[in-house]
Amino acid sequence: MNRREAIRKASVAAGTTILTPALLSLLQSCQSEPRIDWVPRFLSHEEAAFLGAFIDTILPRTATPGGLDVKVDVFLDRIIAETYDEAGQEYFRTELNELADRAKEQYGATLSVLNDSDRTAFLMSEEKEGGKFRQGVWGTPVGEGEPVSFYRNLKSMVIWGYLTSEKIGTDVLRYDPIPGNYLGCIPLAEGERSWSL
Amino acid sequence: MPSFNIDAEKDITYDAIVIGSGISGGWAAKELCEKGLKTLVLERGRLVEHVKDYPTMNLDPWDTELRGSLTPEQKAKHYKGIRSGFIGTDTEHFHANDQENPYTEVKPFLWIRAHQMGGRSILWGKQTYRWSDLDFEANAKDGHGVDWPIRYKDIAPWYTYVEKFAGISGEPMGLPQLPDSHFLPPMELNCVEKHLKGRIEKQYPGRHLIIGRCAHLTVPLNGRGKCQNRNRCSRGCPYGAYFSSNAVTLPAANVTGNLTIRPFSIVQSIVYDEVKGKATGVRIIDAETNEDIVYKAKIIFCNASALSSTQILLNSKSKRFENGLGNDSGELGHNLMDHTYRIGALGSVEGFEDKYYKGRRPNGIYIPRYVNLKDGPQSDKFVRGFGFQGGAYRDTSRVAANQEDFGADFKDRLLQPGPWEFFITGFSECLPYHENRVYLNEDVKDKWGQPTLSIDAEFRENEKALNAQIREDAVEMLENAGVKNVQGFNKEHEMGYGIHEMGTARMGRDPKTSVLNAFNQIHAAKNVFVTDGACMTSSSCVNPSLTYMAITARAADHAVKELNKRNI
Repeated sequence: MNRREAIRKASVAAGTTILTPALLSLLQSCQSEPRIDWVPRFLSHEEAAFLGAFIDTILPRTATPGGLDVKVDVFLDRIIAETYDEAGQEYFRTELNELADRAKEQYGATLSVLNDSDRTAFLMSEEKEGGKFRQGVWGTPVGEGEPVSFYRNLKSMVIWGYLTSEKIGTDVLRYDPIPGNYLGCIPLAEGERSWSL
Repeated sequence: MPSFNIDAEKDITYDAIVIGSGISGGWAAKELCEKGLKTLVLERGRLVEHVKDYPTMNLDPWDTELRGSLTPEQKAKHYKGIRSGFIGTDTEHFHANDQENPYTEVKPFLWIRAHQMGGRSILWGKQTYRWSDLDFEANAKDGHGVDWPIRYKDIAPWYTYVEKFAGISGEPMGLPQLPDSHFLPPMELNCVEKHLKGRIEKQYPGRHLIIGRCAHLTVPLNGRGKCQNRNRCSRGCPYGAYFSSNAVTLPAANVTGNLTIRPFSIVQSIVYDEVKGKATGVRIIDAETNEDIVYKAKIIFCNASALSSTQILLNSKSKRFENGLGNDSGELGHNLMDHTYRIGALGSVEGFEDKYYKGRRPNGIYIPRYVNLKDGPQSDKFVRGFGFQGGAYRDTSRVAANQEDFGADFKDRLLQPGPWEFFITGFSECLPYHENRVYLNEDVKDKWGQPTLSIDAEFRENEKALNAQIREDAVEMLENAGVKNVQGFNKEHEMGYGIHEMGTARMGRDPKTSVLNAFNQIHAAKNVFVTDGACMTSSSCVNPSLTYMAITARAADHAVKELNKRNI
């Protein structure tokens, strides 16, 4: 039995929707506990829950799938686990926890339980920090600029995981694996989607 | 069973041995086999058969669990090569193992290698331009290096010959500094490139913005399909639409029945017979069994890539050639050149938000050299010149990551094309300096116990002056063409990133100052030919591979004629 189920059963048993102090504390502890429905390889449950809340704020579900719908959290955990060396993993964990701690310090609770306006305010304050990604030439960034913040790097990884997911790549974006001809100048209607590849 | 004959015979004397199966080795094999010579190709790595051995050619990003990211083990295996930014899981299997094949950077130098059948012809950039007399006369005119022993007229028919078979697309322009090839129809410029072409050509008479000339079929040719604009070339093309040894020259060599290709054959040295006064064979180490074997042949073509061919020659020591085969001049290993690049400018282009493109064109734009031409502006800061490659496209990911935004509306915009961006990056000529060199390193051995190369080379004053001009011109051109947020860049990168190593066994008129003659024969061992990048006497500013093809076909023709006359 998971905690959510425990609360539901407890409130059914109590026959009331009024929260007793005991139940309230159970609920609060539940809200600050990680709630994820997958088993991370690298992240702790708490870190994975933070990452999930982060992804859900950057790319929420609307008429199109959100970041969590296409399992960007599961994918990024796997990327850290399988493609980062130990030093890189340690750096990622430290930075992720510092980001999570800043949200707690500034808004008094973990990101996943903050209301929309607090979440937005927190992420927007992070948006102001550090440099921007530089344009690249054949895969190599060029020019000069301030280093990019961990926040922006993480956001960029979320975007990458989202756009390269099969659902987005084949159903949401325009999927054309074998274009045949190249057409150098075609009209683009307002709101029309990009090619996925 | 492979469709190639891989059973090399120790007891017979082949008509020809070709060392290496990349761009130039593939051409040597095809030409020699088609002229009736029993030819043995010695390939350091494994067989890579066209289509059959392209495991990633059709994979979408989500088809691989890590979506192209390398594991720490893969990064360690390519610990030098990953500096290029070109190695992902889609092409990792075509890049050489840096751990098994070390080299020493006395000064920083990136050496990108591909150790399998086809070599770097699978991975190359496919930009194909003829050189002109501006290039072949350059050394004679300004005194750097030694004079080329050939001129454009000597090689022009061979350009035509190889172009007809390789398939080169492009637009004829009639420019003396960039002679037209025998062209297939050109690829198309996109809206923004067309617009900028108009602006730049109007503003700067004498400068041209043209579609890149490239070794991609825009119409079917000899059973190969035309380019499908997937831009997955370096994984191997299922249509055979771009030129590679695997898709084009080696199958042609194979149908003659004269070809044997032996994989896992690491060439240790070329065997020189002092009594006969010529080379008689090639000593190899079997990469899998470590067996030491000598194969015999009447003529030998060295096509292992510029630095690897040089390494083999340096390692081919005899009483007659104590410092390496053909090294009477002391120039073997010297005069290493590469092109500078990743110097230029980029920015965004407004006014085309309602325009897009379809297809992933594996090609960009080219701005041919316009300084220090025969007629026209001359620089007092540098000799030689540069050209630009580049292109316009719409990016989304980077722009979105940079926006100070997130959430529902942000996600909607992320699914739409971002702003148009345009970049140009210069490629400049590099002078042949005796001081830029490679030499054998007996202290660092490869997996098979062989001495490796030390590379001691750097760009110098003339290249730096060219680079400064590239950056200045690039920024000015883009600003005057109306590009917004123009940013100049100059990576000042080390040599090797151009992946155009050249010059370490140069051709020349005088055996005292060069290694090879006008037909790529070693001056003092005329049955040994070197026709890869090692043979180049200068570097031009345009991509060299087409010239390697033409020089190889010309040398093979000469070799067979000389063989038939019993001159070699």
